[in-house]
Amino acid sequence: MAFQVLLNFFLAFLWMFLTGSFSISSFIIGYLLGLLVIYVLRRFFQTRIYILRVWAILKLTLLFTYELIKANIEVLAIVLRPKMDLKPGIFKYDTKLEHGWEVTLLSLLITLTPGTLVVDVSDDNGTLYIHALNAADIKSNISSIREGFEKAIMEVSR
Amino acid sequence: MKKKPNDLILQTVTTVISFIIILFSIHLFFAGHYTPGGGFIGGLMTAAALVLLLLAYDIKTLNTILPFDYRLMTAAGLMIAVLTGAGALLFNQPFLTHAYDYFNLPLLGETSLHTAVLFDIGVYLVVIGVTMTIIQTIGESE
Repeated sequence: MAFQVLLNFFLAFLWMFLTGSFSISSFIIGYLLGLLVIYVLRRFFQTRIYILRVWAILKLTLLFTYELIKANIEVLAIVLRPKMDLKPGIFKYDTKLEHGWEVTLLSLLITLTPGTLVVDVSDDNGTLYIHALNAADIKSNISSIREGFEKAIMEVSR
Repeated sequence: MKKKPNDLILQTVTTVISFIIILFSIHLFFAGHYTPGGGFIGGLMTAAALVLLLLAYDIKTLNTILPFDYRLMTAAGLMIAVLTGAGALLFNQPFLTHAYDYFNLPLLGETSLHTAVLFDIGVYLVVIGVTMTIIQTIGESE
């Protein structure tokens, strides 16, 4: 992954030296041509081509933006309702993510989408304790996190 | 002995954020000649990044990551500032007279180089050294 990005940069610089024009535009042309070469020779690498991972990061960003807007509108509806029948509660959530930064990213995404809030992380980084605004349907909460954010983060780091 | 809570989120975010803060402090340091900024505010901002690392980890960890002696840093900063001022005496100018000129540097093009930057580096080091010395001595005295 990192090696492919470095190689792509190296090829772009090589293109600049070959053409003898040192400008942003020639760098971009060289970068795209280098990307083409890396794509053609992608079988030589152990890992998948890095553009897929960039695409996964973009998808995660779009998903997060969509969820943020949707969840805030939901909270607005709860606040404006005259009768609140909320059942707050704390539930456990076992993550399949391994690295520390993945768990951190998942916790921040869960916290930034209203209705759920990460209270604590267990010592082995395997369990999140989440406070939910509406804990009446824990199962749907867990499945929505698992299908949404966790899957998207897995696609980035796989 | 109370069990330590898991600071995973704080530590991960701190390691990312501290790089950004230190880069911003360097930008503030160099911006000081024409725009607001300078050695003092840059040094304080760098010290703030180090304090954030101190909050997320502990004093021993930070001393192994950054093995600086902050008292020596203060002394070095004062030394640089005094030498910059004394350098003017070599050219038969009064103490603390600064010189500047325009140079054609590679990559940067026409750049104004000023000896006040050296003086500012001294200020920068003194501010970091003093701030960190104060905070560490308070933190270590239980």
